[in-house]
Amino acid sequence: MTTTLEKAPAPTPEPRGRLAPVAPYASALQIAGGALTLIGALLPWATFVLNEGPYPEKATLEFFTAPLAVTGFRLHLVLFGIAAIVLSLVTVPARGRMLQGLGWGVVAVTLANTLYLVAEGGGLGTITAADGAVAFGPIVALVGGALIVLGGSARRREDKPVWAWRSNRYVEWAILLVTYVLLLLLVAAVLTSGGQGTAANVYSGAVFLSFLGAVGGLLAALQASGLLTWIAAVSERHRLFSVVVLLFVALALPLTQAGTEYWMTVAANIGVYAATAIGLNIVVGLAGLLDLGYVAFLGIGAFVAANLSGAAAAQFDIEVPFPLVMVISAVVAGTFGAVVGSPTLRVRGDYLAIVTLAFGEIFVRSSQNNIGGFTGGSNAIPGIPPVSAFGNDFNDELIIGSVELPRGALYYVLIVLIVAAVMLVFGNLKNSRLGRAWIAIREDEDAARAMGIRTGPVKILAFMIGATIAGFAGAFFAHKTGTVSYESFKFLESVTLLAAVILGGMGTIPGAVLGASILFVLPEKLREFADYRLLLFGIALILIMRFRPQGLVPDSHRRAELAPDSGVPPTPGTAAKAAAS
Amino acid sequence: MNAILEATGVTMQFGGLTALNDVSFGLSEGEIIGLIGPNGAGKTTLFNCLTGLYAPTAGQVGLRGITLPVDPARVTQQGVARTFQNIRLFPSMTAEENVLVGRHVRMKQNPLSSLLHGPGFRRSEADAAEHTAKLLAFVGLTKFSDELARNLPYGDQRRLEIARALATEPSVLLLDEPTAGMNAQETEATRQLIFAIRDLGISVVVIEHDTKFIFTLCDRVLVLVQGELLVEGTPDEVRGDPRVVEAYLGAPPDEVDAQIHAAEETR
Repeated sequence: MTTTLEKAPAPTPEPRGRLAPVAPYASALQIAGGALTLIGALLPWATFVLNEGPYPEKATLEFFTAPLAVTGFRLHLVLFGIAAIVLSLVTVPARGRMLQGLGWGVVAVTLANTLYLVAEGGGLGTITAADGAVAFGPIVALVGGALIVLGGSARRREDKPVWAWRSNRYVEWAILLVTYVLLLLLVAAVLTSGGQGTAANVYSGAVFLSFLGAVGGLLAALQASGLLTWIAAVSERHRLFSVVVLLFVALALPLTQAGTEYWMTVAANIGVYAATAIGLNIVVGLAGLLDLGYVAFLGIGAFVAANLSGAAAAQFDIEVPFPLVMVISAVVAGTFGAVVGSPTLRVRGDYLAIVTLAFGEIFVRSSQNNIGGFTGGSNAIPGIPPVSAFGNDFNDELIIGSVELPRGALYYVLIVLIVAAVMLVFGNLKNSRLGRAWIAIREDEDAARAMGIRTGPVKILAFMIGATIAGFAGAFFAHKTGTVSYESFKFLESVTLLAAVILGGMGTIPGAVLGASILFVLPEKLREFADYRLLLFGIALILIMRFRPQGLVPDSHRRAELAPDSGVPPTPGTAAKAAAS
Repeated sequence: MNAILEATGVTMQFGGLTALNDVSFGLSEGEIIGLIGPNGAGKTTLFNCLTGLYAPTAGQVGLRGITLPVDPARVTQQGVARTFQNIRLFPSMTAEENVLVGRHVRMKQNPLSSLLHGPGFRRSEADAAEHTAKLLAFVGLTKFSDELARNLPYGDQRRLEIARALATEPSVLLLDEPTAGMNAQETEATRQLIFAIRDLGISVVVIEHDTKFIFTLCDRVLVLVQGELLVEGTPDEVRGDPRVVEAYLGAPPDEVDAQIHAAEETR
């Protein structure tokens, strides 16, 4: 069966050639795949109870003992199986592609659980047969998923359907509102899936990965159906409405299942890194200046805030209000940004990366050694008071009428507003004279100079604005965590931020936010994989870069640049002519 | 003759190599000058000296009597724009954005207004967009306005580069091999475009290997050989000058064209 699996990955445009022999049986394959997925979901998944107790969602469950107690990943598989069968019987446009998406979802969900069971259970016996018990659930589901993919790929290639449906403004608003609320629920579900990943729930990592696989499959199917593209077009038509509603939806996260102190903290941390990633996106994504020490600016902002709000300032009886602290931190970080940016006038590319790398190291080492007494060295700076407004500390819970906001919800609200402001700055700058100058420098520095762009000041400005944003986020970070230590600003953090920008899509706002969310949620979620955490992380990065080099939410330009099937092809022979001239 | 752009005694040495030796010439208002010479004669080096990319070892370049600084950005600001021998557009920007970048020096936006997109910002953007649309129409690229520069057909890329240079509102335009790799029709279209640019009151200097193109386009032709200005004169004078023929090709005048074409084809 493994050979089928190897043949199946054919998301390439023309699967017809190699898959032509199976094309007539496409429907049969899909129905069989859907049925196998269903059966697989209902079969036992493990032959014995694992050491840590029954696998989530009672994977040792026997089919006949409790057929209705199907939850979690098995429920997802059941739904995917039914969807596959329905899709193969009903004629809808682009169902081949939708089925491929569903199929890959089934494969991903199954693999996540299978690998975990095999690794935890100590071998294939866990999922096949051992000690007189049999459990072929994973294998059957895997075969089912592969068959769905195969059947979907064997269908004639269909273009992605274009939905042209329009309605009056209020109907479209209502649709968008529903979509955004669903998005909020989805985000909350992804965030909380698998639980907090402590000793209480040792399976959280596997559950999370499995859920991610299911969400991925679902989104792929929806994308294939053209629905997502249509929604994007509708939201583009009602841009202002979308922005406002999305802001409110984001602020409503504390009211969902994610509204506990723990998830609010996680979400606020993601917000810090999202804001920082957007700042880095100016430097790397727009101006094309590779900065490997960027997290130092977050650190500078955090340390400045720690000194202004913490014990150091209290010694002198100074109490600086929080907004002012943020501004000062941002300005100091921005100044350092200009200082680090100045060598960029002379060095380019690889050499610039080395300069910034060195700056990052200088920062970490100096703060580790407590140079100037500003950083607390290895003792860190503890006891930074929380932000408070109207006599209410931001890390307390808040009760407004009948609504009870969890601890940390106020910090979450604050960081959402900060991220929104940073997005506004980024978006506005990108579409201005300055933003175009940055992009021109990224594209061709000499040509940019020949167009009258003073590349020196413009590049320093990129560093400065990027650093200012990071400093801003750093001040928030200091108050949120209450302790600032050099350990939060090591080289790895810079790399992760850079990965977030590239992963999400260079030069775009949603990209940086999505990238930051993924890269800072994954480690939180994959804690139980401890030693393999970075390995999984790296594999995920490699896979995304291999299959989606333009990033998850690419810039419209970059999409055209890297996507294989778009844009006007240059007239034949021009390349040769250009080479000859 | 009142020269708008004037080079006096420009000498450029790279280590022991003298790329340009004491080159002087003047460009009058509304004039088209052709710059020809064998490969390696120093034509592009001269352009680089004129636009502030290189600091000449000796000599200087003046625009309307004022010495130009050694800084491409400021030279462009003062009104000398150029295109490049091997097209250097901003490949992942659209045609419109490429031209908008050319507007950079003629736009006023302070960082704060860029940040907040205030009324002043919007006015300057609308202004630039209008100007850009006009320029794209001028070079005949309106239909490619939203297309990425990299996806444009080759000849249109050359035209877009010219539009981008024109966006800086130059008084002098330097074109480095604007018809390289073009067929006869495209070359003719480029000739008409250069005439149209001249009619806008912009003086033009053109580097080109295609002597037929140069001799039918230019008011005056400079022949550069091994970094030295060998001959300067009208196309007819240059065409008939035995020194040009000798230095350039070592062949009788009526074979110049044929040999140049032959040389071009084997290149």
